Amino acid sequence: MRVAYYKGCLASLSAKELDTSTQALAPMLGLELEELDAVTCCGAGDIHEAEPDYYLHLNARILAYAQATGADTLMTICNVCTLNLRQANHMLQNDAALLARVSENLEKVGAPPYSGGVEVRHFLWMVADDFYDQLKLVAHKGLKGLKVAPFYGCQILRPSKLMGFEDPDRPWSLEAIIDACGGEAIDYPAKIKCCGFPIIQAREETALGELIQPIEQAMEAGADAMVTPCPLCHLSLDAWQQKLEASTGKAFRMPILHLSQLIGVAAGLEKSELRFRRHVVSMEPVLAKLEGPS
Amino acid sequence: MDVALKIWRYDPESGERALKRYEVEAPEWACLLDVLDIVKDQVDGTLAYRKSCRMMICGSCGMRMDGRAILACKERMKPIVDRGHVPVISAMGNMPIVKDLAVDMGPFWQKIRAMKPWIEPGYEEYPEGGEFRHSQEQMNPIHKEALCIMCGCCVSECNSMEADPDFLGPAALAKGFRFVGDPRDQAKVERLELYNSEHGIWDCTRCYFCNERCPKGVDPRDAIAKLGAESIKEGIDRDMGAKHAKWFVRSAVTTGWLRETELVPKTQGLVSAIKETKFALSLAKRGKVPPPFPPHVADKQHEARMLRDLIATQGRDGALGHVQGERALSRIEHAVMADPDHAGRRRDAPEITPGEAPVNRDIGEQP
Ligand code: SF4
Ligand code: SF4
Ligand code: FES
Repeated sequence: MRVAYYKGCLASLSAKELDTSTQALAPMLGLELEELDAVTCCGAGDIHEAEPDYYLHLNARILAYAQATGADTLMTICNVCTLNLRQANHMLQNDAALLARVSENLEKVGAPPYSGGVEVRHFLWMVADDFYDQLKLVAHKGLKGLKVAPFYGCQILRPSKLMGFEDPDRPWSLEAIIDACGGEAIDYPAKIKCCGFPIIQAREETALGELIQPIEQAMEAGADAMVTPCPLCHLSLDAWQQKLEASTGKAFRMPILHLSQLIGVAAGLEKSELRFRRHVVSMEPVLAKLEGPS
Repeated sequence: MDVALKIWRYDPESGERALKRYEVEAPEWACLLDVLDIVKDQVDGTLAYRKSCRMMICGSCGMRMDGRAILACKERMKPIVDRGHVPVISAMGNMPIVKDLAVDMGPFWQKIRAMKPWIEPGYEEYPEGGEFRHSQEQMNPIHKEALCIMCGCCVSECNSMEADPDFLGPAALAKGFRFVGDPRDQAKVERLELYNSEHGIWDCTRCYFCNERCPKGVDPRDAIAKLGAESIKEGIDRDMGAKHAKWFVRSAVTTGWLRETELVPKTQGLVSAIKETKFALSLAKRGKVPPPFPPHVADKQHEARMLRDLIATQGRDGALGHVQGERALSRIEHAVMADPDHAGRRRDAPEITPGEAPVNRDIGEQP
């Protein structure tokens, strides 16, 4: 299956490990990724808030370049990109006058027009739905019953009328993937809550008050690691964890995996593709457990 | 039909909490509120909850069902009974419990009042010369916000308010836009200044629980985004949240991609950013602080810059940029509800209720 691939800002910059592991995994699952070179940032919810008309146009431009590849699916690997693109797409697909104005503007600046012909889907949904049988074959090395806490984050679940993939209060997709990879999914209430990332710079204290819930609950539930489909959640959980440790005096040391790394470990990807050295919290305890006797 | 419920009871005098099971006979058309009435009438008269209109307009009957804030008079019981599910009913979150399912809405009203929820017409005496007329188009920007019945369902699950109880929150801020966007109101700038306070719009973490829960389609998160857009349009951008948002626009116009490394100094100012040096170094060691030079520039980036200049002349700036998409968004069916045959997509999974350990599901049955 050939899809247009939008990796977004973080996977191009501070979370390169997400991009390399996704790219390495794709052919094993039967996914052909067509990378988009001319696209920009989706605005991460910030341009949506600051200049909403510009947000709509930037996202329409990404959708237009995706449509120009001939693919009917635009695959994302970030929750925030998924919401921003799906929201813009719904606005354009359900309002002919709005679509006409925006598409005309795109053409005026030399970009391809957009006719609403692309569907935006997150990698998580594609693996949990279209490629689930293939996943079971690919994940041949397994995870030796590793206890993994799924962390969904917000903008892949809510607002559900825009996302529509699963029950936003009792999602199942990450659990199903952990299961297929040979891990044990840990259940805890905060798996559908916020990691605090959007306000981690402007309101650090409030953000840390949000971040502590999933990490603490996952630890109490006995998780060896957490997995998330969002690089912003990953950055918050992985990099800001040290600030939680400093403010609470507790040593969490909770390893945080990108979804593609979790599958990648079970599929036997190379170290150079998984790139765990780019994480702040060490992955060593997890790797030791996987290498140990089963 | 036979209806079974579990209710989290709370006795303020003894401070005891208990999950109690009730089974009653109810007509097939009964909603949750009807069932609670039957329980109170026939089983236990001490059960406390609020109600008035029974038709989704007074906003009294907000409570949680299986951990989700809902209006008791809106939830039909038949489909739940048909699935053999026994829902757990509890009080809303983020507000102190008075007794059983009734919460203290005092802090909620205080925040609504803090928004100055009245029109400032800009004159003392009614001017000579008759009536003022407003077109539907002028009223469209606040169409959704005006639907609010102040039930508190959005506040119940607001993630920012859990961490910062002083956050003005989704209901109050939606009320705020209801006045900022009203063409009759003449106090827009003063209001925006007020709502840009420390616990105002930039405290919202965009968890979207409010949009998910609101039983009236107000979409408070979108109202907050409208307030953000109007604030920036009016040049009210001293808050770090506003600076953060503006830096994304700047990045898109100059390189196309987020200029991540410069984001912290642009948001917090150079001095605070330097105080963060130790933290930044720990990230830099792991490649999490990409060097700003040479910048990562998107192909054909000039198109993104030209687009911004072009649309600046088309009159959809500020909150109108949101309003223009609302009609389209209102056309989307709740895909989750529309696909009842898809096992994983039904809203009938086991509950997560405060005070009760979550149940691990059998993943084998999922698609
Ligand atoms: S915005 Fe919606 S959920 Fe919040 S108080 Fe108003 S009607 Fe209730
Ligand atoms: S989106 Fe903002 S206002 Fe709405 S529930 Fe989340 S934090 Fe609260
Ligand atoms: S009783 Fe009035 S809204 Fe439910």
